[in-house]
Amino acid sequence: MKIIIKYILTNVKEKKMRTGVMILSILLSSTLLFVSFSIGASYESAQQKMARGMAGSAAVSVSAKEGLIHTDEIPDLLSIDAKAGILKGSALYHENGYYETIDLAAAELSELKKINPPRLADGKDISDFSGSRIILPDRFTSKYGIQKGDAITLQINGESIKLDVAEIAAYDTFFLRHTRGATALLPLSFLHSLLGYTDGYSEILIKPSQGVSAETLKKDLETALPAETYRITETFSEDQVTADARQKSMPFFLISFFSLTMSIFIIYSSYKVITLERLPIIGTFRSIGAAKKTLTGILMLESSLYGCIGGLLGIPTGILVLKCILQGMSCSLSQGIEIPAVITPFSVIFSFAVAVSASLLSAWLPIHRTSRLPVKEVVLGITEEKQISGRLTAAAGILLFLFSVILPRTVSGDMLYLMGGISLLGLIAAAIILVPLLTDRTAVVLERIYGIILGNEGKLAARNMRGNKNVIQNITLLFISISAVIAISVVGDFVTTYVSDVFRGAELQGFADGHMEPAFVEQVKGMDGVEKVLPLHILDNRLQAEGIALGRVEAADDLDLYSSMLAIHYTKNTEQSRAAAAFGSERVILLSEDCMKQTGFSKGDTLVLSNGTNRYHYLVIGSFKSRATDAEAVIPSACAVSDFGAQAYDFLAYTAADPDAVMVQIRSLFGETANWSRTVEEFNTDALSTVGTFLQPMHSMTYFILLLAAVGIINNLLINYIQKRRITAMYKSVGLSSRQNIKMTLTEGFSSGLIGAAIAVFVSYLEIQTIFLVAGPKISMVPRLNAVTFFFSAAMGIVITLLGSVVPIVKSRQMKLVEEIKSE
Amino acid sequence: MKHTVSETAIEGRHLIKEFPMGNAVTKVLRDISLQVTRGEFVSIMGPSGSGKSTLLYILGGLDTPTSGHVYLNGTDISGFDDEKMSRIRRRKIGFVFQFYNLIPNLNVEENIMLPLLLDGQKTANHQEQLSRILEVTGLTDRRRHTPRELSGGQQQRVAIARALIGNPEILFADEPTGNLDSKTGAEIMDLLRDINRRSGQTILMVTHSPEAAKSSSRIITVQDGILV
Repeated sequence: MKIIIKYILTNVKEKKMRTGVMILSILLSSTLLFVSFSIGASYESAQQKMARGMAGSAAVSVSAKEGLIHTDEIPDLLSIDAKAGILKGSALYHENGYYETIDLAAAELSELKKINPPRLADGKDISDFSGSRIILPDRFTSKYGIQKGDAITLQINGESIKLDVAEIAAYDTFFLRHTRGATALLPLSFLHSLLGYTDGYSEILIKPSQGVSAETLKKDLETALPAETYRITETFSEDQVTADARQKSMPFFLISFFSLTMSIFIIYSSYKVITLERLPIIGTFRSIGAAKKTLTGILMLESSLYGCIGGLLGIPTGILVLKCILQGMSCSLSQGIEIPAVITPFSVIFSFAVAVSASLLSAWLPIHRTSRLPVKEVVLGITEEKQISGRLTAAAGILLFLFSVILPRTVSGDMLYLMGGISLLGLIAAAIILVPLLTDRTAVVLERIYGIILGNEGKLAARNMRGNKNVIQNITLLFISISAVIAISVVGDFVTTYVSDVFRGAELQGFADGHMEPAFVEQVKGMDGVEKVLPLHILDNRLQAEGIALGRVEAADDLDLYSSMLAIHYTKNTEQSRAAAAFGSERVILLSEDCMKQTGFSKGDTLVLSNGTNRYHYLVIGSFKSRATDAEAVIPSACAVSDFGAQAYDFLAYTAADPDAVMVQIRSLFGETANWSRTVEEFNTDALSTVGTFLQPMHSMTYFILLLAAVGIINNLLINYIQKRRITAMYKSVGLSSRQNIKMTLTEGFSSGLIGAAIAVFVSYLEIQTIFLVAGPKISMVPRLNAVTFFFSAAMGIVITLLGSVVPIVKSRQMKLVEEIKSE
Repeated sequence: MKHTVSETAIEGRHLIKEFPMGNAVTKVLRDISLQVTRGEFVSIMGPSGSGKSTLLYILGGLDTPTSGHVYLNGTDISGFDDEKMSRIRRRKIGFVFQFYNLIPNLNVEENIMLPLLLDGQKTANHQEQLSRILEVTGLTDRRRHTPRELSGGQQQRVAIARALIGNPEILFADEPTGNLDSKTGAEIMDLLRDINRRSGQTILMVTHSPEAAKSSSRIITVQDGILV
């Protein structure tokens, strides 16, 4: 036993490069796995932080149904840890035609610090905060070039109030928000006086004691406070935030998936060679009485050693990488959100366990195969790998491929996730099975082409690829790596676009949100270069459907224009033309899919729409989803006017030859009237500055996956060289010159890269289809596949393989020809 | 039919080969000079580690001597660069190894044609020659098989056919029967002898087997790096 261990340790010492590559691949994949888990959690935590915004650690808000509330009205309950009274007001900031809504807030600073301490941009504490002063977040001040000490004018309750900027706060904690506008902090007494109060708060934010859930706290408060006097609400829906964040962290989990697949393949191929190389020694040990079990155990021990080292080094590396990424994010964030690094015991244990298990599992297969070989064959070195019928494997591959493509299309609901995962694995497995067949077939074609272009060396290089296990291994690893990079890039870009570009697919190029008389709309229509104008009446929180309050109801004249301007996706494609035809003077209503679900209405139902005084019957003509509008329902403009007294328009969307020029004119038309008017480009720039940085880590992670791919390819090329050097020696013995060897190796490398890239492009395309099929029901946007991403990744793969060919070329120059030829 | 030999096919002059072994230097060949004339079938014998294979590889241009010269048809090939030496291996030399050294994923025909392919020649122009060699080596019905589908003896026949396809000046064979059973070994030796006699092919062979050496026209013995 001791001697076998000694032998293995000596082997490890001697094969430093390969051991290093294997450990590095385990290290990188456990790092990737750990980082992708932790960054997902950190991202989720940052999302929760944003959703909590002003509420901070408070889980419940209590306000009076009438007037203000005082902190002493909240009973001292065990479930309460801290409370802070918040006085709220609103103001309007106007500069160069831009209007920005500012939510004013004031609190006792000592109380506020307990639930959500404001963080100043310079890191100092807030002190001497009284009088007509204001603290604004840097996200707002940097946009308008406001400095500490400047004076700004706000419209508050119709009056212009001049305030001094006391401090600039970081766009973090108290100042965070997930809606447009900004939150400003004012001295409590000053805001009281501005709003005409002497004391009291708009709401009391309550932080639960350790271990108390928001729900429990809410229940306790509902028991203690009379429902007719107080409104008790949870500050945010944790489930909703978690669901949103999970959707956005999908690329990180994709990264984990691919890194694991690659890692297993790298270790598997390494072990295949290791066991093959050690076969004579294994035979010697077996011949002198070492049991099959002992040898298997020792080899597995060796692999677990690699797994442990890789895993143990991978986690601290992961923590370092995570901190660097989060640090990088904070630096790049002009708003300065502090994103906590969330390291859970689960992610640590799971990443380590996966590193060890992946190493053990991928080593087990070749070791197990070897241990099953008859002692005689092993001792005599006459083992031969069993040849499995090509037709059988091709049939299995094609079946698995079809199964993987069809599977996610046959299920729905939660099963989609499971079947989607199986489909992704199945696609990769099917491609792995089919690689030999595809390589053989392509090599036949290449043989003819190269024969013409490159002569006999090219012909031989292509011929040499047929039935060549090293080449197949290289192509397999390459296609896994390239398809991972493509899938992650496409999904990553999609998430960035999805989160930041809500108007994707919508025709509008600009919009105005404000009070607009019909004459205003006519003036816009008459502006130079204006192409289409869509005016809308907005009935916010004014209507009820069968007693259920509707948040936002929009009323339009022309449904086709409304649909194209706001990228309305109808649940059934046939609904649009029917709905547009009915959208004349009839009382019809379109409901959003969410609204349909919440209210339980369905197409063809007649519902009573009421504004409290007027009640009318409306026919539900269909449902829709759209990212460009939050409308829960859409009704004809004529009905909004006749039934609910809508007069002026509240929203206007337009397309124009020069949207910016039109926007300047619209702002000028508004004059001093409050409005929120933006071109789509301006809106997207604003949105990207907030969410783009959150997605920065994902792009950093793509480099890691590329690094892992590079490590895998180097590992493979090393293995390739080990296996190929004898063949090269054979060629050299019959007259292959170094120049010819370079030509053939490069041709083979290029061809492997080409085949690997082609398979990768195809597989990743299908993977992306599966990913979006799984995510599809939750998103109302179709991914746009950019051919450049596919082409660039494929080209990179070919370049990497070509560069990798340098190793065997250089090494074969130093080859001892006689030694290689003489050894069997 | 026996050919009259008059020209020197290959000659080694003052061949010395040293290998560094740690701090020491092991002399494998100690100033060996020999000549093989055209049409000769020479066997090199000697105990293990005597230097006989090293001598063969140096004469065949697969290894280089520490000092000394190798003349092929009167041309000193010891200083040739890789390109020139590769051309010599393709056109003037044929090698047969103990472990056959066939390219596993190429079929019999492709393995045989390899030196011609590497020499930039069109295989279509050599079909007649191929058929003849396949017939001589008894492989006509195995031409589309891959090495793994052949027996050891058949694989060695392919190796011999590959060595002969370019009509080499000299055929080097390193223990060509070393990996075969005695019956198959004898068949291979019959084939080599037949080739030597029928076409006057010069053969230089290393062997342990006195039985195999009997086929040759001359036996050279190497011991401790010198000819005895």
